[in-house]
Amino acid sequence: MDCQCCNRKKATVRICDLEDNSIAEQHNVCADCFALVKRYLFDMARPLAATADIVREVQSLLNADQTALALPENPGALAPIASNVPVCPECGMTLADFKARGRFGCPRDYEVFAEHLDPLFERIHDVQPPRHKGRTPDALEGRDVIVARTRQLAQLRERLEAAVREENFELAARLRDEINELQGKDITRA
Amino acid sequence: MSDIADNFPHLLGEWLKGTGPESDVVVSTRVRFARNIQGFPFTGRGDATQREAVLTMVNSALRRVHLDRSVVSLQLDKLEGIARDVLVERHLISRELASGEGPRGVTYGRGEMLSIMVNEEDHLRLQWIKAGFDPERAWKALCKVDRALEKVLPYAFSERYGYLTACPTNVGTGMRVSVMVHLPALTLKEHIEKVYNAAKRMNHAVRGLYGEGTRAYGDMYQISNQATLGRTEEDILESVGRIVPKILEYERQTRAQLYTEDRGLLEDKVMRALALLRNARRLNVQEMMSQLSMLRLGIDMGVVSDITLRTVNELFLLGQPSHLMRKEGRTLNAAERDELRARMVRSMLAHGEN
Ligand SMILES: [Zn+2]
Ligand SMILES: [Zn+2]
Repeated sequence: MDCQCCNRKKATVRICDLEDNSIAEQHNVCADCFALVKRYLFDMARPLAATADIVREVQSLLNADQTALALPENPGALAPIASNVPVCPECGMTLADFKARGRFGCPRDYEVFAEHLDPLFERIHDVQPPRHKGRTPDALEGRDVIVARTRQLAQLRERLEAAVREENFELAARLRDEINELQGKDITRA
Repeated sequence: MSDIADNFPHLLGEWLKGTGPESDVVVSTRVRFARNIQGFPFTGRGDATQREAVLTMVNSALRRVHLDRSVVSLQLDKLEGIARDVLVERHLISRELASGEGPRGVTYGRGEMLSIMVNEEDHLRLQWIKAGFDPERAWKALCKVDRALEKVLPYAFSERYGYLTACPTNVGTGMRVSVMVHLPALTLKEHIEKVYNAAKRMNHAVRGLYGEGTRAYGDMYQISNQATLGRTEEDILESVGRIVPKILEYERQTRAQLYTEDRGLLEDKVMRALALLRNARRLNVQEMMSQLSMLRLGIDMGVVSDITLRTVNELFLLGQPSHLMRKEGRTLNAAERDELRARMVRSMLAHGEN
């Protein structure tokens, strides 16, 4: 059987989506394409997508002859596909996206795009350097709850990277779901 | 749905009372803060679950800070369109929030001076409105609410850029001071363009409150600071406090000029406006606002003495389409609205009622 992704090489890996412990969908791909697909599957910077969509995306990159762009520098690592483009790890916003919309995606973007913001802020606010001079919020009651949650998220992400490196995809999928759940949680109840 | 009838206060907002500093020209002063919660994408990028989580978090925080018994919380995605439009006309929520989507809400109270929008462009938009020109007091009142909330909500903040907001135009203090002014004389004498330009040079914006583009029905305008970063809150108050009085002075001088140049013409315009408002059987909203504008000017110039500023301010609000429909409890076509509006204006301006 040929790889469903590149249609050239022999399919040696089968990716199965499980639902209620039975196979809902499967994709048979070659080892090279799998290296690409798995980076998408476990890249937390991207929104969660069905395997079929990811396979299609990799396919379109290959069709567009963007193999260079799609090939991982070190297989199994969690770098975004085009690593020279600043992209927010929290919300997936890219610098180009931000420039097109004129709106940030999440508070983290201010840090991720920091080196590109000063000229813009100088122009909008007619001030140099564009730094905050107003008041600072008082200490937060129970700030430690949020710190704990942030630490927990960081640990889960580390374990996820390790699991992908070790090709333990079952564990990786579980960790990914855990991270998603924790991110969406009401932190006052944490 | 009966929620609006049950929850909506029958008293009109404090800020309409027509008193307060400089109330001959200034209707109200509003201060607003844009705030967001750490760990969530901004509203525009959040999905329904994340927006719901933000709304739940803010509502529970609002309960914890015990604002006071007067506050009302409404979940906007569970209200009908007309109820949302009434809130817009009352300046309690923005048009953007009314027409937005997904879980979002508003909490308001203290005589409608305080309003907190949730899941507008930013997670929180807090505002305090005071009658007349009173930025300092509006700011202090809002600070109290903000400080109580920041103890229980993890605001998105950085040392470098201050309060982090969805739009780069609000970052830093997240603070916007907007002063609602009535400029009939400057409009009549076609000096508004000069006001726009002068304000712009000083980093402030002037725009018509009603109507689109440069058209300002009822000669109502809003003056607000543009820059929010690289200044302290006090700096912003100070610059508004410097610019607005200049515009007020300009308006007053022009009013005095109108009066001395051709007192007869001014009196004629005012009395015609009053006669029209007291007798019309159909009034569309634009006509009502432009005649009310002349009447308001006439009250200040002493041409009319049996009507209060408060009545005029209230009519500006009660004559808006959604307020009329809420009063009738059903949707109305344009002709029905115009008749109802005329009837209400007649009864509120009837002789001996004020
Ligand atoms: Zn392949
Ligand atoms: Zn982001």
